[in-house]
Amino acid sequence: MNASTATNAVRVRLFAALREQAGWGERLVPLTASPTSPADLWQRLALDDGSAAGAAGLPPSIRVAINQAFATADTPLSPGDEVAFLPPITGG
Amino acid sequence: MPTPNPERLIAVQLLEAPFEPLEGLAAWQRSHGPTAASPAAESHFIGRVRPTTAAGEPLEALELEHYPGMTEAQLRALAEACAARHGVGAVLVAHRVGRVRPGEAIVLVAVQADRRGPALRCVQELLEDLKHHAPFWKREWSGGRGTWVAGNTPL
Repeated sequence: MNASTATNAVRVRLFAALREQAGWGERLVPLTASPTSPADLWQRLALDDGSAAGAAGLPPSIRVAINQAFATADTPLSPGDEVAFLPPITGG
Repeated sequence: MPTPNPERLIAVQLLEAPFEPLEGLAAWQRSHGPTAASPAAESHFIGRVRPTTAAGEPLEALELEHYPGMTEAQLRALAEACAARHGVGAVLVAHRVGRVRPGEAIVLVAVQADRRGPALRCVQELLEDLKHHAPFWKREWSGGRGTWVAGNTPL
C-alpha cells in the first residue's frame, strides 16, 4: 500500500474464527466514501475478496471496536482509526 | 460509567505462561497488606481448564487468543465498574493467554471488601462480565485439530 492511500486509511483487524475465515488478521483499508462505517467496511471487504464472511450484512453476533473500545457498527470512521470485528467472546 | 476511584486498587494481569494461583494471590496480598486496617472480607475464584471439549472429546489444550491492549483495558474497566457498583476495596484479575493445558489455571479473580456480601457478589459478577465483555477467544485442541468455541459454558 502506498503512502497516498495509507493517509486516509483505517486499520482493520480480525480475530479468532473471523481471522481464519478471511485468511488475514490486519489490513490497511482506504476510506473511499464519506462517511464510512464499520458496517460499510464489512460489506465492502466481503465483496472485495469474498472471504471475510460473505457479502451479507454484519451479523448481530459480531461486535465492533473502534480504537480498542466497543462501538456501534454505524459509527462514522476517521482516517487512522483502528476498527476491529470481534466474533462472540469466550473468556474466563 | 462510574468514576474511577484512585484509592481503589485494581490489578490486571495477562499471563503467557502457566501460573500458580495461590502464589499469585499471596503476592497480591503482600503488595497491599495485610495490615490491621485491611478489609475484613476477601473472596476468590480460580478457574481451571477441564479435560474434555464441549463435544466430550479428550482435550489436549485450550488456546486463548486476545486483543492486545484492548483486552487489558477492558478487564480494567470491567473491574473498576464492578468495584464501584459494590463498593469494594481491591480487585485482582489474572487471566491466561496462549496455550493452556487441562488442569492448569486459566483465570483468578480476587476481591477485598469490608463485608462478605460485596466481596462474593463482585467476584461472581466480574467473572460473568469478563466472560462476555473482555475480548478473549477459546480454541479447543483435540486429536490435533483446533475448533473455535462458539459460546460460554453454563453458569
